[in-house]
Amino acid sequence: MGLRSKRVAVAAVAALTAAVAGCGGDSSSGEKTLTVVMWGGSAQEAHVNSYITPWAEENGITVLQDQPTDYAKLRAQVEAGKVSWGIVQVEPNFAVTACREGLLEKIDTSVVDTSPLDPQFVSECAIPVLQYAFTIAYNTDVFPDDHPTSWADFFNVEKYPGKRGFWRSVTSGIFEAALLADGVPADQLYPLDIDRAFRKLDSIKEHIVFYDTGDQQVQLVASGEAPLVQAWNGRIFQAAQQGQPVANEWNEHFLSYDTVLIPRGYPNADLAQQWMAHFIYDLEGQAADAVASAFTPVNDEALALLDAEIAAELPTSAQNASQRAIVIDYTYWAEHYDQITERFNEWLASW
Amino acid sequence: MTVDTAPSVGSPMGARPAGRRPRITDGWGLLALPVAAYLLVVLIVPLVILLARSVTDPTLGIDHYRTIFASPTYTKVLLNTFVTAIAVTLVTLAIGFPYAYLMTLASGLWRNLLLVLVLVPFWTSLLVRSFALVLLLRDTGVVNETLQAIGLIESPIPLMRNFTGVLIGMVQVMLPFMVLPLYATMRSIDRRLLHAAEGLGARPAFAFWRIFVPLTKPGVLAGSLLVFIQSLGFYITPSLLGGPQNVMLGELIVQQVSNLLQWGFASALAVVLLAVTLLLLAIASRFVDIRRMFWREL
Repeated sequence: MGLRSKRVAVAAVAALTAAVAGCGGDSSSGEKTLTVVMWGGSAQEAHVNSYITPWAEENGITVLQDQPTDYAKLRAQVEAGKVSWGIVQVEPNFAVTACREGLLEKIDTSVVDTSPLDPQFVSECAIPVLQYAFTIAYNTDVFPDDHPTSWADFFNVEKYPGKRGFWRSVTSGIFEAALLADGVPADQLYPLDIDRAFRKLDSIKEHIVFYDTGDQQVQLVASGEAPLVQAWNGRIFQAAQQGQPVANEWNEHFLSYDTVLIPRGYPNADLAQQWMAHFIYDLEGQAADAVASAFTPVNDEALALLDAEIAAELPTSAQNASQRAIVIDYTYWAEHYDQITERFNEWLASW
Repeated sequence: MTVDTAPSVGSPMGARPAGRRPRITDGWGLLALPVAAYLLVVLIVPLVILLARSVTDPTLGIDHYRTIFASPTYTKVLLNTFVTAIAVTLVTLAIGFPYAYLMTLASGLWRNLLLVLVLVPFWTSLLVRSFALVLLLRDTGVVNETLQAIGLIESPIPLMRNFTGVLIGMVQVMLPFMVLPLYATMRSIDRRLLHAAEGLGARPAFAFWRIFVPLTKPGVLAGSLLVFIQSLGFYITPSLLGGPQNVMLGELIVQQVSNLLQWGFASALAVVLLAVTLLLLAIASRFVDIRRMFWREL
């Protein structure tokens, strides 16, 4: 039948075969390899080429890759004791819950010095690998002169007609945007008043469309289908560079980030920790990645290595940082992800 | 006599009557062994694990099933899944039947062309096809902009993010599964029966309706079953072309498996989908002989 049962079946069979094969996990002993798993595509290529391959070549390590990150596969590997993924890029709330469930290696702070990083982005089992922003992306043909500059504007369908695109995920910033638009002060946003957020969303329901991927997001706003989209800054910047009629409004943007972690029982976990230690201070690598992938370095000192033109399109540049509304609170999301997903599904199903 | 009470056909070795069909007990059954073993490993074992997981993960009991049936979301999505699958089956049948009939009438080059047309979707990735449909169907898509340009409509008609979009997308994917069994059945129908009916005074339309259509029943049922069952597991097309209200159970199962890591709950959802499907098939089998419709195919 569908992919549905297949994925469950694959996970189940994987778990079974591993159980039959008995304990394992010391497969590639002696050989120095590091398997990197990220979200795939050109972004993964940019990340690996910028800050993993140069380090690996210098240290005689072979980099293997897989893609995209799949939390179910990660869990199946750890539960089966056959872990082949070394460095895995994940959303920060997953890093918190998976760490608590014992699926991850702890960051060895005697090896990894996290002091240059924003402490709120570092957790027991994960370090940040990149930053990005949720911005108000708009179509410059539809709004040539006056465009929305706040979430209140974004929700004002009389003043700015047209559809609004949101990412269909509870950690998409959709609730944060609705509450800010409804007048909740940014510093009192968390814990989120979900009922109030749904009421606000209901008020513009017929104007909302959802996207699932970065490509869809760009398509929506560039085609004018949804001239306003809550978007990822890098995607919009890249589309604008390719000549598409799109732009980021930086006012009231949300700062967000992704983390990297090590699944528990990865045979070369020490190599993975060494890479993390190196990465945090790898200013050149992070700067190169910002150029190649339009994501933002996690070590702010890397900004100094970038052209002003590129830095201006990053959320951590002095000018943009001053327009920030919030940093997405993934500790909150780690606690509430399941319940709010349930309610979100209910809301969508009753559309 | 006391030893050999088996039916008389189980005659002693070496004394097999000439021309008798090979029987499964003769050792020919071994031929089925690879497939049986394969199915055991890739289908039966995972299904058993799935079933077990749905009542043991994270705690022993039927809590997951209680949650599913107590929640308006899951019952609604389950209902929507079956309604969608049924609608897709009916539309596919309505379009596929005349198409398959045309294939039996066409000859040589034309028939091959029709066959290729229906097979083309098989050769393109599902994701690519669905994205292409998005480009066609969205408000600023080819269809709406053309209609607006020639002045037929003033504002775009919503062709996607609704049930229409889901139907267009899924029917297009499912058409080969309907057309091919229909064509196979129709091709084997002896057209002289129609001539005979007409010779006896029936008008062509009447002969078609009373003679030809009933004979296509095995193909209709086989195609419908294939389309219906496959449609139940769909989620990529509905998620790309449908609106939030068109979500199908497959998508919620993937969400539970990959995002929430609630494998016990995901298993329970899968079991419910499977159980309702089997129930529907059981009901259907009271009206039609499901075994026979595949038998006749081969």
